[in-house]
Amino acid sequence: MNTSGWLFDIYPNRLNGLTLWLIGDDGQRHCFQHKFPVSFYAAGPTHRLRALWKYLSEYPQPVKLSRTERRDIYTGLIPVLACEIPNPAALHALFQQVSQAFPDLTYYDADIHPALRYAAATNLFPLARCQVETLGSQVQTIQTLDTRWELNPQPAPLRTLTLEPDQDPACRTPTSIRFQYERCAYTLTLQPARALLINLRSILDRFDPDLLLTSHGDSWLIPWLAEKSRELNLPLPLNRDPAYEVITHKEHTYFSYGHIVYRSQQSQFFGRWHLDKHNAMLWSDYGLEGALEMARVTCLPVQEVARLSPGTGISAMQFVTALQTGVLIPWRKAEPEKPKTALELIRADMGGMVYQPTIGLHENVIGIDFVSMYPGIMVHFNISPEVPRSGAALEPSTLQPGLVPQTLAPLLQKRIAYKSALFDMPRWHTLREKYKARSSAEKWLLVTCFGYLGYKNARFGRIESHEAVTAYGREALLRAKEAAEELGYEILHMYVDGLWLKKAAKPQPEAVRRLLEKVADRTGLPIALDGIYRWVAFLPSQLNQRVPVPNRYFGVFQDGSIKVRGIECRRRDTAPLLSKTQTGILQILAKAPDAAAFGTLLPEVQRFISTQQRALREGRLPLEDLILRQRLSRELDAYRTPSPAARAAQQLAALGKSMRAGQSVRFILTRGQPGVHAWDLPTQIDPKTIDIQRYQTLLQRAIDTLLNTLAPTAPQPNIFDLPPCPEPHQQPLKIY
Amino acid sequence: MGRTLPTATDLLLQEQESFARFRRALRRSDQLALDDLFVSARQHLAATQYAAHALPFEVMLLSMLLEEHKLVIRLQRQLEEMTRRLP
Repeated sequence: MNTSGWLFDIYPNRLNGLTLWLIGDDGQRHCFQHKFPVSFYAAGPTHRLRALWKYLSEYPQPVKLSRTERRDIYTGLIPVLACEIPNPAALHALFQQVSQAFPDLTYYDADIHPALRYAAATNLFPLARCQVETLGSQVQTIQTLDTRWELNPQPAPLRTLTLEPDQDPACRTPTSIRFQYERCAYTLTLQPARALLINLRSILDRFDPDLLLTSHGDSWLIPWLAEKSRELNLPLPLNRDPAYEVITHKEHTYFSYGHIVYRSQQSQFFGRWHLDKHNAMLWSDYGLEGALEMARVTCLPVQEVARLSPGTGISAMQFVTALQTGVLIPWRKAEPEKPKTALELIRADMGGMVYQPTIGLHENVIGIDFVSMYPGIMVHFNISPEVPRSGAALEPSTLQPGLVPQTLAPLLQKRIAYKSALFDMPRWHTLREKYKARSSAEKWLLVTCFGYLGYKNARFGRIESHEAVTAYGREALLRAKEAAEELGYEILHMYVDGLWLKKAAKPQPEAVRRLLEKVADRTGLPIALDGIYRWVAFLPSQLNQRVPVPNRYFGVFQDGSIKVRGIECRRRDTAPLLSKTQTGILQILAKAPDAAAFGTLLPEVQRFISTQQRALREGRLPLEDLILRQRLSRELDAYRTPSPAARAAQQLAALGKSMRAGQSVRFILTRGQPGVHAWDLPTQIDPKTIDIQRYQTLLQRAIDTLLNTLAPTAPQPNIFDLPPCPEPHQQPLKIY
Repeated sequence: MGRTLPTATDLLLQEQESFARFRRALRRSDQLALDDLFVSARQHLAATQYAAHALPFEVMLLSMLLEEHKLVIRLQRQLEEMTRRLP
């Protein structure tokens, strides 16, 4: 039988192979089995490999053994023992025994997700269009009809059921659940549970959703439903595949990029998807569309990719490339950093270049940005752990593209295609939001790819490659600075991949084009105009007015849009009152065509500020505007002097709520002890206890941040008359 | 992030810290002037980092000197201008 449709779900089954779910073009959901043997490889001394052969030939399950040669990314072709078993689900148990019995051997391809192996073998990925030929439920042949890099894939007709409790279960016990599917929307109370379960079961049977989109489903709803279904002996077909139970993973916390991150427990289905908006990675950033894009390009199943970090996504992409190009994926990386002299280390161990901006208000400022700078460098200059580089010169490599550039190139190309399509697209266009979400998901993959190049546990990482990327990034930025200075621009600020420049004359399109061309020519990297600011203010440190702080500024583009970085209204932990006040002030100031017009707007700004201040003083603000939100940086018992967030968390913990490091707490500042009131306490806060004075100080500070910098900076005359720069001879790019 | 060595900002703070005893024994007015010198060094942290000098304090001293020199030239210009305007 021939079936065509979208590949929906894929997982190893207990028989010999994988279970595939398809959303058919006929509207049916099909379930197939596909025989799919998998292999891992072992390398080491011949006598040990022989011993392994003997061990495996006596293994209770059949293991197909053969001697062959495969390519290790660092050392080239090596002789290996290939061990193939017919059942992908049994690989993990087999490999555990083998690695314990033979810990001295080097293993490859041992812990690769079956979906990635399948993707490498068949070019199939989640939601790929495909054509299947089957005999009974067994797949005979399967063929993809599109690629991962399709800009406008045909959308799959997903049936979505949304379930939302009325309260955040971490704070208060929910009393009802809101159901929504197709055009139906209604609310059911949790009690009696039997009625709720029967209702849900009938929706699952009748409507048969592909996706259960929940709020707090991972941490509360699904476990609660499963428990009630057991208690009342009312089976609930959450899984489409009746052979499996709902899978749950435990909660955990980890440290990443200077933050403690908390992930609640997870519940995943078989043959159906469950996504929890509150436990999905970057959901607020790119939503379902971005999660689907992540799954498409990484080939990881949707339920997993939505809960994993982009770093795991980019590793998955590298694994697929490696499997397809016949490169072995090391089980544990054993590639130590090469020895360096102290001076080499000082020179190599640097990040991106971050300049000290010229503090103050500037007019007619040009902002330019390198397009996806670090991934661009990796692709253009072929930076990959296995690609040798001669000396320190970083010229475009003539060698075969390495594994990292091979993986990144189509992704980078796809993102640039989305970005340029967005640039030309009118605001009302229906595809706009989709493109934005997809491009944002791709951005996270590209960004983390650079980090993974230097991550000690990344299978295809090497610190020297990571350093080469930042080195070229610094070089490119300095070349851009030199090119701009040759054209007579003054450099106001530089930040890793962006520059802020100004000239006495108002910038003309022709001049900007010349600037971009010259920079692109000098660096070999694509650069784009971020925008021309009517005015922009670079802010000093809050502690010392003379000390500049990188990446703390606000400004208004020529089209009137506002750009803000590093000040209160950009931070997630500020009370909405402060953000609203700052945004309000900026919106008034954005009306000024230039800094000279500020004077006429200041009375309006002053009136707005007074209104806000009066509302705060007289207690007329909604309480929500005063909520601060902070993350717990450690476990509660580890605080020596508890921060306000920790004190608020203690109030919640006293009521039996579990508060772990990495979770965020909402609270309002109050007078006296303990100085805070957790927002999620069941008792309402008494408005009289709010520490108005403290909020007044915070508000004043936020206002000062904006207004103190608004006097235009007196132009600093150049103390030396700059001679016209001669065009420098273009040197090959050097790392240092 | 993942770096082994202190950043230029860390180095500057370390150097400043190492002069704590010296600073303590200075007069209050001199203490403020000294702090100001370190602020001058902060204006060129990106360049200090990029220089990757084995003795970073030398680069910091040079940063301070650079700011001082700019000030001297600016004042000199102003003085010349004012002298020219005098009858």
